[in-house]
Amino acid sequence: MKITGNSGEHDCASTLPKAFLVLGLMGILSVSFVQATTGIRPEKNNTKSGLQHAVTIKGNVTDEKNLPLPGASVRVKNSKQVVSTDKNGDFQLVSTEDQPVLIFTYLGYKTKELSYTGQALSVRLEPDQSALDEVVVVGYGTQKKSDVLGAVASFNAKNVEEKPITRVEQALIGQMAGVQVKQQTGMVGAALSIQVRGAGSITAGNEPLYVLDGFPLDVASQSAAGGISGSPLDNLNPNDIESVQVLKDAAAGAIYGSRAANGVVIITTKRGVAGKARISFNANSGVSEVSRKLDVLSAEEWVAQATELANASWVASGAGRTASQTNAQRAAILALPAGTINTTYMTDPRWAQEGHPGLDYVDWQDAVYRKALYQNYEMSASGGSENVHYFISGNYLNQNGTLIKSNYKNYGLRANIEANASKKLKFGINLAPSYSINNAPPAEGKDNQLMKIAQMVPVVESSVGLNTGAYGNSTYTWSSPRLISPYAFLETAINSVKTSRLLTSVYADYQIINGLSLKSTVNYDNVDRNTSQYTSDQATVGAAESLFTNPGLLSTGAYIVTKKQNFLNENTLNYTKTIAQDHKISAIAGVSYNIVHTEGVRLETAGGFANDIIKTLSNAIANPAGVTTTGTSTASNNTLFSYYSRLQYAFKDRYLLSGTIRRDASSKFGSENRWGTFPSVSAGWKVSEESFLKDVKVISDLKLRASWGKSGNNNIGDYNAIATLVNSNYVFGGNTPTTATGQVVSGLANKALKWETSGTYDLGLDLSLFANRINFTFDAYHKKNSDLLLNLPVLSASGFSTSLQNIGAVVNKGLEFSLNTVNVKTADFQWSMNANIAFNKNTVTDLGPTHADIEIASAYSGSNAPYLLREGLPAFSYYITKTNGILTAADIADPSVAKLANQTVGDAKYLDANGDGKITAADRVVGGQPTPKYTWGWTNTFKYKDFDLGVQVYGQHGGSILSYFGRAIDFSGSTTANVLGVWRDHWTAASPDANAPRGKLGATYTYPNVTSDWIYSTDYFRVQNITLGYNLKKLFKTPAIGSARIYVSLENYFSHDKYKGGANPEAQNTNVSGDTSYGISGDYGSMPLSKTASIGVNFGF
Amino acid sequence: MNTKLYLLFFTLAVVFSSCEKQLEQVPESSLATDNFYTNNNDFLQAVNGAYSQLSAYPSQALWLGEMRSDNINATSDGNRDWDGINNFTPNITTVGFISTAWKSNFNGIYNVNNVLSALETKGSVIGNEATVTRYTAECRFLRGFYYFQLLRLFGEVPILSTVKSAQELNSIPRSPVADVYAFIEADLTYAAANLPASFSGTDVGRATASAAKGILGLVYLTKSGPDYGVKGPGLNSNEYAKASALFDQIITGSPFSFGTSYSSIFSYSNENNSEVVFDVQFASSLNGAGFPSHLAPVAFWTSQGISNTYGNGYGASTFPVTKSLVTSYTTNTGGGTDVRYPFNVATTYTVSPFIKKYIDLTKKGTTGKDWPINFIVLRYTDVLLMKAECILHGAGGTQADADAIVNKVRTRAGIGTIANVTLETLMAERQREFLGEGLRWNDLVREGFALTQMNAWRIADGITKINPVVADYVIYPVPAAELQTTPGLYTQNPGYN
Repeated sequence: MKITGNSGEHDCASTLPKAFLVLGLMGILSVSFVQATTGIRPEKNNTKSGLQHAVTIKGNVTDEKNLPLPGASVRVKNSKQVVSTDKNGDFQLVSTEDQPVLIFTYLGYKTKELSYTGQALSVRLEPDQSALDEVVVVGYGTQKKSDVLGAVASFNAKNVEEKPITRVEQALIGQMAGVQVKQQTGMVGAALSIQVRGAGSITAGNEPLYVLDGFPLDVASQSAAGGISGSPLDNLNPNDIESVQVLKDAAAGAIYGSRAANGVVIITTKRGVAGKARISFNANSGVSEVSRKLDVLSAEEWVAQATELANASWVASGAGRTASQTNAQRAAILALPAGTINTTYMTDPRWAQEGHPGLDYVDWQDAVYRKALYQNYEMSASGGSENVHYFISGNYLNQNGTLIKSNYKNYGLRANIEANASKKLKFGINLAPSYSINNAPPAEGKDNQLMKIAQMVPVVESSVGLNTGAYGNSTYTWSSPRLISPYAFLETAINSVKTSRLLTSVYADYQIINGLSLKSTVNYDNVDRNTSQYTSDQATVGAAESLFTNPGLLSTGAYIVTKKQNFLNENTLNYTKTIAQDHKISAIAGVSYNIVHTEGVRLETAGGFANDIIKTLSNAIANPAGVTTTGTSTASNNTLFSYYSRLQYAFKDRYLLSGTIRRDASSKFGSENRWGTFPSVSAGWKVSEESFLKDVKVISDLKLRASWGKSGNNNIGDYNAIATLVNSNYVFGGNTPTTATGQVVSGLANKALKWETSGTYDLGLDLSLFANRINFTFDAYHKKNSDLLLNLPVLSASGFSTSLQNIGAVVNKGLEFSLNTVNVKTADFQWSMNANIAFNKNTVTDLGPTHADIEIASAYSGSNAPYLLREGLPAFSYYITKTNGILTAADIADPSVAKLANQTVGDAKYLDANGDGKITAADRVVGGQPTPKYTWGWTNTFKYKDFDLGVQVYGQHGGSILSYFGRAIDFSGSTTANVLGVWRDHWTAASPDANAPRGKLGATYTYPNVTSDWIYSTDYFRVQNITLGYNLKKLFKTPAIGSARIYVSLENYFSHDKYKGGANPEAQNTNVSGDTSYGISGDYGSMPLSKTASIGVNFGF
Repeated sequence: MNTKLYLLFFTLAVVFSSCEKQLEQVPESSLATDNFYTNNNDFLQAVNGAYSQLSAYPSQALWLGEMRSDNINATSDGNRDWDGINNFTPNITTVGFISTAWKSNFNGIYNVNNVLSALETKGSVIGNEATVTRYTAECRFLRGFYYFQLLRLFGEVPILSTVKSAQELNSIPRSPVADVYAFIEADLTYAAANLPASFSGTDVGRATASAAKGILGLVYLTKSGPDYGVKGPGLNSNEYAKASALFDQIITGSPFSFGTSYSSIFSYSNENNSEVVFDVQFASSLNGAGFPSHLAPVAFWTSQGISNTYGNGYGASTFPVTKSLVTSYTTNTGGGTDVRYPFNVATTYTVSPFIKKYIDLTKKGTTGKDWPINFIVLRYTDVLLMKAECILHGAGGTQADADAIVNKVRTRAGIGTIANVTLETLMAERQREFLGEGLRWNDLVREGFALTQMNAWRIADGITKINPVVADYVIYPVPAAELQTTPGLYTQNPGYN
């Protein structure tokens, strides 16, 4: 590695910040470069004359583990002379200085100075624990971490390649205070949702803005059902990531003004650094299985319960009926033809027989979950000369899902290349093509396969086994004929998503005059996604008959294409200047233009398939109306034009001031309100630089920060401000009908629609103690989203029931603490720690001029709305009937105890909240909130000699989930469906257990629509990762191998949660309101998260 | 240096101005309303669009009419949204069927008002005054129809003769029933005077003058009913003569006639036959009908080897025709076997005798929402029987005339004739004749039988889960969301919470 210093007429004080800013704007800053330049002294007075005698200095450089450090830079102080260490960490140079002082630098290590004393030098470099010298990428530039005035959470991705991680979001779990990564599904290849400082929007999206190497990617919102389709992070190789910064407050994010209201996640990919080529190879492979199963009754338990229920129902159904009567006797009493089964009153006699002959007892979860292998290979080369730097990587991931037939493959390439055309001009290109195939058979959500595995009776006829109900087999008599084998369905269904993506950035950076430079970038993100879908009639209810005459007739299929093109041009001017030593000024101003174009095509069968073999639409046949396939195509555009500016000022490096302003115009809003202005100011005081603290050795750094800023949100549909027409056809013609094309207005357009804005106050403190061994950061914030883009209910007499308006406000306020420490640091043993905790309180503060509650009903639970938007409460609080124990005989006798019709002893007792003696909608109470009150993460890293061990733990507390899935499978027992394990312990007349979670089996009253029984705490803690590594370097004598490490890792192996009504407390897979105006993502049967044991190697050459 | 800077700012200025234009984006896949109403075709499509909310009518007729009446005693497999409709519980203010009925009729009115205002301001581009008049008359027919549906379901509703913004609506209260009637009568009278006598070819199914007269007659008849002491559809207005006169015009005029065979009236291959005065048009894959599946149990489809996507989504719920009605079909005064019973009711399906009137398995579309069968709103027999109703209320004609009408219907049904028809026997005949056509509940309300007949039937059939029917239940509650949206503007109908 060869680095030459700046030969200029400026002194160090002015060179430094310029170096930072210029390099930062180019987006290719490497830490080593800066650190190297920090060691540079002006050379003017360095040219010494006089007697010169040459000495040959030899030596060896090692790291903290005494392993050779190849490529470390060795510079002779006060001269231009620089050499690099070789593969063995050895160096040799000839110096003409009389008393040469050598400076040793290496990326990520502390710079060391040593005087040459005539002996061979043996130098051991210590890793740089000082997080403060780190450079943080902020909007349109970089800053020294110690100069950052906003709330910025950083994640150094250096260790990502040392762990088996397949998506970028996974790397961020539990790592940063106030950055909540929600794992809403365990389906392989699925995007995860990230929420920064709570949800501030009600109707508009809540996902943050992702900025990849300076390119703001198009925001993909979480759908009402909970999934994220077309996530901007799809197909990205996590190993390419150098660092991730999350800009949490408006002061940090305001430079991205528009779209920064939900936070900004800045991702920087790896760059080449000048020096010898570094080749690294990483491989890992492992096996995953579901981390936990849903607790439902086992086959034996269900048989016992069904027997109990059937006999009880039988005995209660009439005089003279006893449990000992056989099915034949019962049929005779019921006057049923011989052999007829009434499943309510009869049991299968084989249940009681030894070994239940002819029946298989199955665990449906075991049938559809599997141990799944994955393998991941990644290779990269980086390096460069003085004028060209490069980083080139390729990766291949093949990951089987823990659900049968699910699989994710990703092929990715990346080339980041930068060239200095002249001293003043730089060019660069980042190119990242990728291709992925995600086989994700439809499984999650209401009435889908993962709901069926919980509902299905765990008993099947041995003759058909797991294929009960499918392939023309009948269903088991004691099972609903509407539930056919989820195993067979998953085996035959196709949902294959193929995504090609090309991410490109080209940029040029030109220095106009000293201190003033212009950077221009052109970014282009092209995503093409094709989805093939097929559902076989072999596993479709009611298809049995046609299976023999025309297999395929009742199969359905679709082919869906979505294309998205995101183009962005950005031009930025950057100026830095130091005036009279003490005043540092840097300023940027820029203009950007962004257009996002999307297209969609959808083709689907109208009349089924000619057979069940060919599954593309070429095999589709016409329906009775003569239609073979139906299809449509759509297109839409949105544009964003912005200009922005930032001014930073530092006095004596002690008092810091920064202000930004950004003006954005979005085509999504009407012409009057298209422009939004987003200012921010922040101030910082480096107390530790003051004279009264400068000598306090304990405190290495102390900074106080305060900021205020506004940012915006336009995460709504492209044309919501424009009244549009939609086809609403009718038909005329009687027996020979023809379509009468009809056009109606599609909704209440709001021409006055404008930006949703979020204003944030942030107070922060950064403290480093004991030579940066302890780093502590604290932030308190108050974030108010106002002028919410809210689907406000309007009187239906207007023609529609909601209208998107800028009304209302939501406040998130919270505290964030994070702590980085090096607890132990000896030659052989090191222990470092990262801990963070974030408290957030979410409150709806304004719902428009009437301040009326907005109650959101669910399409799946009848009338009493279970979700509430009310001023003073967290958004989407649960509004439910509270269960309050079990009715005793005394309760039944007491007319003052409110009961529902037909309730008897042993049934659940409900809270009569308004005391009117009846259980009605008016008795609903607020019973929980969807968002957690605090989240935390704790990472410990140990190093002992050649071993390293990392343990990551994280958790959340204070939130709850209203589980529609739980509600669906939380029956008081059934002879034809399985139920939740909570029913194992139930109230019986013989042993009236007042503490039973539910009450008695076979309740005959109608449940209130939604009760507190279906609300579960989402508290959990998880041991996200345990990785044990061993340095193999010693085993390889060949110098070709620079580093080698082998590791074993356990992902998500140990966890605890309280969610008994589903498989994953963060599950989101169905819009449980069923209302598109107020989508509420909930759980209606979800894929459990996976736990993975893996082994991997890292090699460096 | 300065040259370079100027160059730079010049470049930025150029970029800026070109980008400003790009901010004006218009939808690529849907038409902006500003660019509409430029020619006759646009207007025709807008009028067609105004018809489209008629597709929601059969669901209202079945779930809110048939389900409410003594035709069906449904059994729920859990906690279904229609339970409270069937069972007369007060807590139905958030039930989807009710709020959807409110919303879809008002959406239809909104669509009509949009077209009417465009016809006024831009109608000249059509270039043909007669066409403008026809479109106006079709729209006003539809508005009258949608309003009449609202009035019968909810009583008082806000009157909107033009499109109003959501803000303006916050100060428009519900209007007295009499005012709503006046508004409906004006619309239907205009329609009756200006609509063509008939349509042919691809226009069959549009509202005709006779359709407007028939509905207007029903409006007068309904208005003449008792008021039960609630602000419902009955105003005791005694306008039977007006109604009778309108019915006479249909009975004597062409092209309508009394169908010779009961079943052929509903045949998939005999749509818009001479019985049909007005119907809602459906066709598979174009505008498929869901109503044939509405009141059939899901298990019926699977028992036929048909995918349960043909079902109504209500699991193991059943929708049996009531015991009283089965008896009424099977033991008839006057003797004979009622052909309407096996046609209307699935008598051989042992689980529950549900209404199968519209189910022709050979004609099923791609799903249970894709049947190619029209829903008859008003047919000749209905007009005849309403005429008899007018006669029995003293609006001209003799007892013999009324008897003749009823016996004409009975004869076609294959049962013996009766004499001295009373309102009770007339309504009983209507119940058998119009099962599954969504008329029964309105018939009961109109003739003052809503409480007496319903409560007598509950006792006769030994039904305990259906609550006693009281006067308040003559109309439905205003959907809760409407009350919450603008507190204090509307008051809830009494009896509901």
